[in-house]
Amino acid sequence: MEQNKSGESYILEVKNLSVSYGHVNALKGVDIKVKAGEIVVLIGANGAGKTSLLETILGVNEIKNGSIHFQGREISGDSADKIVRAGIFLVPEGRGVFSSMTVTDNLLLGAHHNLKGAKSKMDYVFSSFPILKDRKNQVAGTLSGGERQMLAIARALMSSPKMILVDEPSIGLAPKIVNDIFDILKNLNSEGYSILLSEQNVYKALKCAHRGYVMETGNIVLGAASEDLLNNPEIRKAYLGA
Amino acid sequence: MEVFIAQVINGLSLGSIYVLLVTGFNLLLLVAMIIHFSFPIVVVFSMYIAWIVLGLTGNNLFLGISAGIVSAILLNIITAPMFQHIMKKRGEVDINSTMVLSMGLGMIITDFLSHSINKGFPIAFPDALTGRAEGAFLKIGIISMSRGAFLALIVGIIFVLGLFWILYKTKQGRAFRAIAEDPNGAKLVGLPILKTGFQSYALTGFLGGSTAILMAILLGSASPGLGDQLGHKVLAVSIIAGLGNLKGGLIVGLSLGILEALVQGYWTGTWSNAVAFVIMLIAILVKPKGLFGMKL
Ligand SMILES: Nc1ncnc2c1ncn2[C@@H]1O[C@H](COP(=O)(O)OP(=O)(O)O)[C@@H](O)[C@H]1O
Ligand SMILES: [Mg+2]
Repeated sequence: MEQNKSGESYILEVKNLSVSYGHVNALKGVDIKVKAGEIVVLIGANGAGKTSLLETILGVNEIKNGSIHFQGREISGDSADKIVRAGIFLVPEGRGVFSSMTVTDNLLLGAHHNLKGAKSKMDYVFSSFPILKDRKNQVAGTLSGGERQMLAIARALMSSPKMILVDEPSIGLAPKIVNDIFDILKNLNSEGYSILLSEQNVYKALKCAHRGYVMETGNIVLGAASEDLLNNPEIRKAYLGA
Repeated sequence: MEVFIAQVINGLSLGSIYVLLVTGFNLLLLVAMIIHFSFPIVVVFSMYIAWIVLGLTGNNLFLGISAGIVSAILLNIITAPMFQHIMKKRGEVDINSTMVLSMGLGMIITDFLSHSINKGFPIAFPDALTGRAEGAFLKIGIISMSRGAFLALIVGIIFVLGLFWILYKTKQGRAFRAIAEDPNGAKLVGLPILKTGFQSYALTGFLGGSTAILMAILLGSASPGLGDQLGHKVLAVSIIAGLGNLKGGLIVGLSLGILEALVQGYWTGTWSNAVAFVIMLIAILVKPKGLFGMKL
């Protein structure tokens, strides 16, 4: 396809990416692309390699093969703190908030590399998440699951990212809260953030995303627009229980 | 009552020193992820450096104090790559090998001090530093303090406050605490782990050097075995407070200082170590995970 121009239209391009932990091959030549302004979802069962892919994009895992480009620039091999400064932030699986630290401290950690604008970003985040404002001096360990997920998303916003990676946000949350979280992600997307999401809650995730990729044991087996995936008989059978 | 107040004040000086040593130890444990129980030996080494430089310069206080502080920072930063080499290879806390490294470092320093400096005899710091010869600087009733003791108290308290301000109110302190709670999570939010670990070496080096000077003023002397003795106490305080618990270390460190001073005031100084250890033994039997909970 249009290899040369792709740097301009795609904010993230992962090509032929392979990652192993010892002799476990977690990613076996993964190709995905995200356009600026898109929500893209990775669908896959436990162990498919979703977390490995997101964390490798963030620069945490050693790459065996392949490349990652962000905004047309190669970031493969860069350290996580450099990639965060370049504008990618991860909302980790299981939220990853620091339970012994206050909500405010957790938020400021997101702005670690650019504390100058932290005050106004904090105001913006508190206006979007009033619950966090009420709890700003509480330690994160006292928050409910949904509040922690909001905190993890809000912390990502504190870094002024261009792209947010969100790893299985719905895990362990009540259905009503799950809907709230997906609404939040859709709102953020309409504000201009590009989002790469991983999910096992396939129906709600596809309803929220523009496109999706299906992952199985370290491979991308299918990639298509969300409606097409929702109507795909095999997907309906394997992931939607229809 | 006056004896009590006098000894509480003495205890606060001693306690501040314990707090600085324990917090340095805890920071290395939490942020750099090494068990550096020879850290107090490094501090005693810096006391010796200060003593040597004072001797060479005809008791130039500025040079002596600077040499003590700088030597601790340098020693910490020079040994950092060795510790970080182990860390990088293992990727997580590898207590065994960092402990062996720390132990070896401590043994080399202690051997060096007992063979090569002052023929292994205890060293005495000059009155110019300790202010002993001047007599009481502050006298209220039976409470009397030398200028040195008074300074050590004030500086000790300011340093403890400053240290906790850094930990709880600054960007670096926040990163220290985040790495301490969850190193992997800290990496996922883009905190520079190795760089922050390095900053913790520099900070603890500065703390160690300053503590060395405070101890020189307060104790007036040092011996090659002092580091080992302090090392045991610091490890004990840290475990009793709860390994890696910063606020716990603050409370237990101050309490230990005051307890020892009270035993000295009301009973006898020669038994203050034994009493301290008996009480610590009881504490650890009652609360094996530490009075304030482990943070590791
Ligand atoms: N730190 C690790 N060490 C060894 N194997 C791992 C590690 N992390 C993940 N794996 C393995 O890699 C594969 C992909 O895991 P993961 O990326 O967590 O999948 P998912 O997020 O889709 O559940 C699995 O087989 C898992 O067991
Ligand atoms: Mg996962």
